[in-house]
Amino acid sequence: MSARLHILKEALRTGVVTKKYPYEPIEVPEGFRGKPSIDVEKCIGCGACVNVCPPNALSAEIDLNKSVKRIILFLGKCIFCGRCQDVCPTEAIKLTREFELSTLTTNDLYQVVELKMAKCEVCGKPYATIRQVLFTAKNVPKDQRPLLLLCSECRSKVSAKYISYARW
Amino acid sequence: MHTSITKILDSLSKYGKIEKVHENTYFIEVSADKVREISEILHWKLGGHFSVTVGSDERPINGYFKVYHVFLMDKQKLSIIVHVKINPVIPKLPSITPIIPGANWHEREAHDFFGIFFEDHPNLERLILPYDWPEGVYPLRKDVSIRELRNKLLKSRNEGEEKRKAEEEYIVPIGPYHPALHEPEYFELYVEGEKIVDAKYRGFHVHRGIEKVAEERLTINQIPFIAERICGICGYTHNVAYCQAVESAAGIEVPLRAKYIRSILLEIERIHSHLLWFGVLFHLLGFDTGFMMTWLIREKIMDLAEVLTGNRKNYGLNLVGGVRRDINSEKIEFSLKTLDYVETKLRRVLDKMLKLKEVISRTKNIGLLNRNEARKLSVVGPVARASGIDTDVRKHHPYAAYGEVEFKVPVYDEGDVYSRALVRYDEVFESVNMLRQLLKNIPKGNIMADEIKIPEYKKGLGLTEAPRGENVHLVITGRDNKIYRWRPRAPSYNNIPSTLVMLKGENLADAPAIIASIDPCFSCTDHLVIIDIKRNIKRRIRLKELARRRQC
Amino acid sequence: MSVKLFMKSLWVFHLNSGSCNGCDIEVLNVFTPYHDVERLGIKLVASPRHADVIVFTGPITRETLPKAIRAFTAIPEPKAVVAVGSCACGGGIWYDSYAVIGGIEAFYKILREEYKVKIPPTVYVPGCPPKPEAIIYGIAVLRGILRQKQRITYFVEKEAPELTKDLIINIEKYMESKSRKEICNEE
Repeated sequence: MSARLHILKEALRTGVVTKKYPYEPIEVPEGFRGKPSIDVEKCIGCGACVNVCPPNALSAEIDLNKSVKRIILFLGKCIFCGRCQDVCPTEAIKLTREFELSTLTTNDLYQVVELKMAKCEVCGKPYATIRQVLFTAKNVPKDQRPLLLLCSECRSKVSAKYISYARW
Repeated sequence: MHTSITKILDSLSKYGKIEKVHENTYFIEVSADKVREISEILHWKLGGHFSVTVGSDERPINGYFKVYHVFLMDKQKLSIIVHVKINPVIPKLPSITPIIPGANWHEREAHDFFGIFFEDHPNLERLILPYDWPEGVYPLRKDVSIRELRNKLLKSRNEGEEKRKAEEEYIVPIGPYHPALHEPEYFELYVEGEKIVDAKYRGFHVHRGIEKVAEERLTINQIPFIAERICGICGYTHNVAYCQAVESAAGIEVPLRAKYIRSILLEIERIHSHLLWFGVLFHLLGFDTGFMMTWLIREKIMDLAEVLTGNRKNYGLNLVGGVRRDINSEKIEFSLKTLDYVETKLRRVLDKMLKLKEVISRTKNIGLLNRNEARKLSVVGPVARASGIDTDVRKHHPYAAYGEVEFKVPVYDEGDVYSRALVRYDEVFESVNMLRQLLKNIPKGNIMADEIKIPEYKKGLGLTEAPRGENVHLVITGRDNKIYRWRPRAPSYNNIPSTLVMLKGENLADAPAIIASIDPCFSCTDHLVIIDIKRNIKRRIRLKELARRRQC
Repeated sequence: MSVKLFMKSLWVFHLNSGSCNGCDIEVLNVFTPYHDVERLGIKLVASPRHADVIVFTGPITRETLPKAIRAFTAIPEPKAVVAVGSCACGGGIWYDSYAVIGGIEAFYKILREEYKVKIPPTVYVPGCPPKPEAIIYGIAVLRGILRQKQRITYFVEKEAPELTKDLIINIEKYMESKSRKEICNEE
């Protein structure tokens, strides 16, 4: 009998703990992993986030006719792990603190960033976004910068000429 | 007096070559005819226990199929893995199930996924793959890809549907049954009146093909994220076990501060899992006040996990070589305050709930599992500790920071539902003590290892103590930043067959409590099918309905 | 488009179609004292015949597909569907496995083509697992109490500099002349 009275006393001592959501907002702690969001000014379209995303919620599409590259983020598949934030070189994609993400169609769960691509000087194929070429140019020595204007196949052909020349 | 390590290795060396892979982990290659002998010696004579069987398709590497049997020797702190090469054209091997009944499901799984035939196995039938899977298609072999499997299976789905309908109509000739849902049953209970005479388990509806996805599509550092989502309650232990297996295969040294952070989160997960289990048990016994109070206390632990890692579950904290997030002094303060609150509340409430007459009368001497049966079936975790077997991976094969804290392992002898509840009750307070020690003594340092190089085709074993028992992951690394073979084994795999022994001879009204006492995955045991053999009636009923109806 | 079919309370049937149980436990958490969704009139029922709304968790596995179809067709009209978690919304981390159909969209495709069933209004709640508050928000959006906040955003880059040898060799001068925001962020 006394066990039951103790439990009743404890229940009365605890009182009412219900939070008033959805009639009042609630706070989430700092460091909460909520919705990822791409800052369109900073994104360079390199695709590092696309490589590292475990469920492939981030994907990249190249449109050869319009010569643009699209980075597509689908929140339906996202597992909110934060790996994209770890590897982004320009800190463009970050996990915010939003968690109220429900929608009535899956179309509303997309974020698309479309960037213009640069065309190779020799073969004319689009190979990388313009922003990515400008970003990489800073870290390359000045005499090798013109190589950045070529696609990877043409670049390897041109560099091969230099190597075979240097051997002699 | 236990046999020493050198004596064990000497006596085993006559069976085959011994290879030391990591501290306390040894691989022995034997020929097919010696497998039964060496298994009997390791499990019964030298006092170890059988843990898991892993099949592997190594034809691209060395031209054979392989089977690995893992044995853990607790007293000597050793892991011994016996492996056998199997002929690729006609794959077969003598089964060890006649000697160790606990290997029954493990061998059936290797048969399902690789097509290896085990001689003298009592019932080598389909275990995991769905009902309508076509014959002759073995998913984990290396010569078939996920895309080919998906194409083949689209066609076979409709044929399986008709086969299943025809079979069900044959089994249920008369009697009332639930009209809305025919589905693969989970527990089939054969009853005579109110007494259970026999029980069968048909499950694995949650099979999602994790191992094939991890081998084909994911890189080494993406697999921790899929490992966490194996289970919704103890996912972090799978994460840690995988990372430990790769770290032991590659010889990476994890910094001590990272090990402390891993242990802190492992203990937080243990507390929340045990409180969840108490809530479920009380709910199935009809005591909803207990359910609501334990889950109310559990919310504070979930808030603590959210502050430390960013999410209430799926902490996403591990990468191979260390952890991703650090812990500062504010968070340590907050954790200690939460622990004080949780401990005082629990001591006031949970203790009294376990002393109520109703709870005791419905859990004492119900669902008995004696020590001999427990050894035969190789059960693990609190189920084993409640039947008198002293086994705990944290004490006997220390990992992460468990070598640096002091704690006791509770062991009880009765083997009924009540002693399993007492084991978990003691473990919650031991966890609170351990957390206080870890939080106060955490050392300074890095949280990620400096050099991470992973060589090809190396084997590693990762062991952790999940809230339900021991977790074993076997990993063989591959090329191009991928894994060649990964076998995660959750503890409920070894524990569920023991319910079939516990249920015989009990009343139907006690079935929910017995099944819940081994703490299985929540959804796997959501439904029961009751087959009344005298009146030839078959009824499908939900576990909660059964608990609610049969309370009086 | 909000669903104004129900006046006050919704009776909910919870179906686990192969999930890891993370989302299931969050759905159960919604009934515990801190969140208490029963004050909004929502009740968990045992049979799909009594329900108005079905809550799906998990990518639909092959083994549970017949069960999901039968439970879905057993709910009487008018009905609604709530897809909770990243596995139900898009297939999750195992969207391409051989044992998985792949989330609610693929499930609807099978229903439409093979069973000729009308698709009911659906609410998607992403998260892994979603917080209990996010699930309450999803149900509020379904009932029309709150409006959805998340909308599609499509950004198209309008102008980009012409890439010439001169520009790229003297990239530092170019960056100083333009404002920092336009190209990319520097340390």
